[in-house]
Amino acid sequence: MPSLATAAPARQDLRRLLTGSGADRLLLVLAIVTIAALWLWMQREVPAGPPMVMIYHGKHLLAEYPIPTGGAPIHVHAKGDIGVSDIVIDTHGVHFESSPCIGKQCILAGTKHHAGDIIACVPNRILVSIRGSGARNDGYDGIVQ
Amino acid sequence: MNATAPDRPDLDRLRAQARWLSLLLVAIGLHVFESALPSLGPWFKPGLANIVTLLALVMLGPRAAVTLALGRVLLGSMFIGTLLTPTFFLSLSGTIAATTVILAAWRWLPGVSLVGISLLGAMAHMVAQFVVVEHFYIQQPALYHLLPPMLLLSAATGWINGALAAYLCARVRP
Repeated sequence: MPSLATAAPARQDLRRLLTGSGADRLLLVLAIVTIAALWLWMQREVPAGPPMVMIYHGKHLLAEYPIPTGGAPIHVHAKGDIGVSDIVIDTHGVHFESSPCIGKQCILAGTKHHAGDIIACVPNRILVSIRGSGARNDGYDGIVQ
Repeated sequence: MNATAPDRPDLDRLRAQARWLSLLLVAIGLHVFESALPSLGPWFKPGLANIVTLLALVMLGPRAAVTLALGRVLLGSMFIGTLLTPTFFLSLSGTIAATTVILAAWRWLPGVSLVGISLLGAMAHMVAQFVVVEHFYIQQPALYHLLPPMLLLSAATGWINGALAAYLCARVRP
């Protein structure tokens, strides 16, 4: 265990290393600017209109629902490569209720409700994406293929 | 009878091999440890094993760093039971991209320390994973909407990991 006399310089060294060199800081600034530009560009690409939940298996659109403003939650059973994922769409947004994958990262992703939000279950090849950035409407209940 | 003494192995070479093996074991340990950590968010890992790749690069050179990174993914995946699963291929693609970028930055970016090199490696790792997931699994460009926040997280962890690698290098290097 380091003594107090050696621990203090070690902490100072780490603090100095955490600030990086001038070139490192330049790289960091460039990285942040690039990420911000990418994010802004992607936000512009989000189509206008009411928020729609799109559920895909690979390239195929399985179902498309507006986010409801009331009523019972909608359960979509999306068949993927390794089984069926249960996806729930309710007034709070959309989330994975269950999935046959091992890591359950799709369930841990929680509920999404903003335009541009996505949840992916990679092993089952299921993608849930929210499109549209305008006000909600409930003109129709959904399209299922 | 004319007996000849057997060739003795070069001590420096043996020492380098022992160091490489020690680093590989530490990297595998970190790989397994990270897989056991509670999820910090979908697809997000702190990338602690990359610290060991950076140490191998500084202590043993580029070839040792590449073999260590690939060996760590292969053996680590065997330990955690994800060999040849999507997780393995994501890890492998990310590691190949990160190691390539780390070596290129080490070779051709003067003035950039391990902190900057680690930052670039972590971001390359994340981009490669997204490309592989989009191309082979999800096949929807909408997936890239997740990329900016994940890149931001990987930049932060890459920076911290680079600082830790530099800190360790200053103490471990002979």
